[in-house]
Amino acid sequence: MHGRLKVRTTAEQQELKRQERTQKLNKFQAGFNRASQKRLNKEYDKESLLITGQLLAANPDVSTLWNYRREIIQHLLDVKPKEEAQLLCSEEQEFLEACLRVNPKSYGVWHHRSWLLNKMPTPDWKTELQLCNKFLEYDERNFHCWDYRRFVVKQSGVSAEEELEFTSDKISSNFSNYSSWYYRSKLLPVVHPSPDGSGRAAEDVLLKEFQLVQNAFFTDPNDQSAWFYHRWLLGKGEQKLEVDCLYVSLDPPKIIVRLTKPVKVGSNGVALSVSVQGKQLSNVHWQNSASSSLYGSLWVSFNMMYATY
Amino acid sequence: MGTAAKDVIDVQQPNNLLLDKHVEYICAYENKKDDYEYVMTEYLRMSGIYWCITAMDLMGHLHKMTAEDIIKVVKKCQHECGGVSPSEGHDPHLLYTLSAVQILCTYDALDVVDVDGLVLYVSALQQEDGSFVGDMWGEVDTRFSFCALACLALLHRLDAVDVEKAIEFVLSCKNFDGGFGTKPGSESHAGQIYCCLGVLAITGRLHEVDADLLGWWLCERQLPSGGLNGRPEKLPDVCYSWWVLSSLAMIGKLHWIDRDKLVSFILASQDEETGGFADRPGDLVDPFHTLFGLAGQSLLGERKLKEINPVFCMPQEVINRLDVHVQLL
Repeated sequence: MHGRLKVRTTAEQQELKRQERTQKLNKFQAGFNRASQKRLNKEYDKESLLITGQLLAANPDVSTLWNYRREIIQHLLDVKPKEEAQLLCSEEQEFLEACLRVNPKSYGVWHHRSWLLNKMPTPDWKTELQLCNKFLEYDERNFHCWDYRRFVVKQSGVSAEEELEFTSDKISSNFSNYSSWYYRSKLLPVVHPSPDGSGRAAEDVLLKEFQLVQNAFFTDPNDQSAWFYHRWLLGKGEQKLEVDCLYVSLDPPKIIVRLTKPVKVGSNGVALSVSVQGKQLSNVHWQNSASSSLYGSLWVSFNMMYATY
Repeated sequence: MGTAAKDVIDVQQPNNLLLDKHVEYICAYENKKDDYEYVMTEYLRMSGIYWCITAMDLMGHLHKMTAEDIIKVVKKCQHECGGVSPSEGHDPHLLYTLSAVQILCTYDALDVVDVDGLVLYVSALQQEDGSFVGDMWGEVDTRFSFCALACLALLHRLDAVDVEKAIEFVLSCKNFDGGFGTKPGSESHAGQIYCCLGVLAITGRLHEVDADLLGWWLCERQLPSGGLNGRPEKLPDVCYSWWVLSSLAMIGKLHWIDRDKLVSFILASQDEETGGFADRPGDLVDPFHTLFGLAGQSLLGERKLKEINPVFCMPQEVINRLDVHVQLL
């Protein structure tokens, strides 16, 4: 559905293409129907793997086929001894890698792989990390691969420091690396947390990042990733909740409060209290000026005539 | 010195909205049931139907589609578990459950399915951390958070899930650039941003977004050709005219885009011979890009089209009829 150029062809070429497609279509439908029949009969055998494999290699987005394939594999894992089960999984890994070479951006393939790795008797996470390295070499922006990498990192306990090192390598070899800079923004506060507990990265580390990103856009001013990262480095901290502006009217009695950020005022939210010359007013009720949400930054008092000391 | 930005070569034709051609295109598509494309996309048929009827409705030609047949198909695709499959012979999934609900809402025919079953199916997919999986096989993605909440909002059954937790999960996917990804720790992508903002709009929590920061990232999707891409250094694509534009609309920054240049890019992606829109000028058309091209045009104020709701990507009059309300900044 994406990136297919409309090419003008002769009537002859069109007829040839039509025939080719009819053949492909018939083959696919026959295969799909056969697989569906076997699934109905709860057949989880070599033939099922073969048919689903052939269909999925060319059509990795047909998730129903992946579902059936998982049922087959689960069954085989349940009945086979450990070594055979492990072998089955390795073969499945190879099959998936072949699928990825043709379709590196298929949700179905990547998801099936993570499902498989969770089922393997002895998963080799190092191999999985290598796979990610390889596919990120082909396409540094493949977010499916990055997500899979983060899954592998989490499952196998790769340290944030090592991952930070990886992003440094990627960025030094090619500055235009939005995905790597992005990953960095997540890793820095983990590897070098700010001592103030704000959740941001330590100040001195951010200053070093500043140097790094400046090098990037001085080398290539058109490199967008550096500019976005730069803005983040300069970013402000958390906005404090304060009264920004206050309006008081005596006749009719009314108070309008503008806060620095939207909150929910009331029983299970923020409490707004009014004191006049040291004496707190009670029975003051607040209404949100924004009607489409429970949250707002502008709150108006109502029924002030019932407020008392 | 410097990298050439990825973009399409300046194309200017066609430069007006070929409404009649698009009506022709969708009608023909619905009738070509033996066509290669049609059969090979059976695995997403329910969404395909939703794209087609919504496009027709926007153009004011919904009556040209065979409502009865479509409603029958939707009914047949609801499984015992309550979920809906893309087509007969396929497994149910949250994506197609939403598409089914959108179709039935458009036709005001929700009574043909087991609504309680739908609600049960959707709510059972919520995980402990508030996220949603797409089906029993466990894939987590913010797209599914949107599918779930949009579905339930249209059915007035948001009570069936833990909304607070759902919001918490979506917010945990917020990134340094103000955008959102598929899962916590994933890179920002216009499609995911649309989904996450959709969740926040449905639940009245758009103030949690840094609208200026995200608005900037989103309007930077516009390239010299006028088209929008989905994230930095990518080619423009008509479907992003929807994902990015509706996101900007939700956070009140629609005016941060050069409207005229975007309109000319979308119009240039039309096929004068067959009708329909492609992802970019010169490519092959399909119903997916046709809907989003039209939807984008509607958001940009094209008067020949019905007003579209930026959260649900459905005609606003349908949303009004359902009495569903969303927050927009």
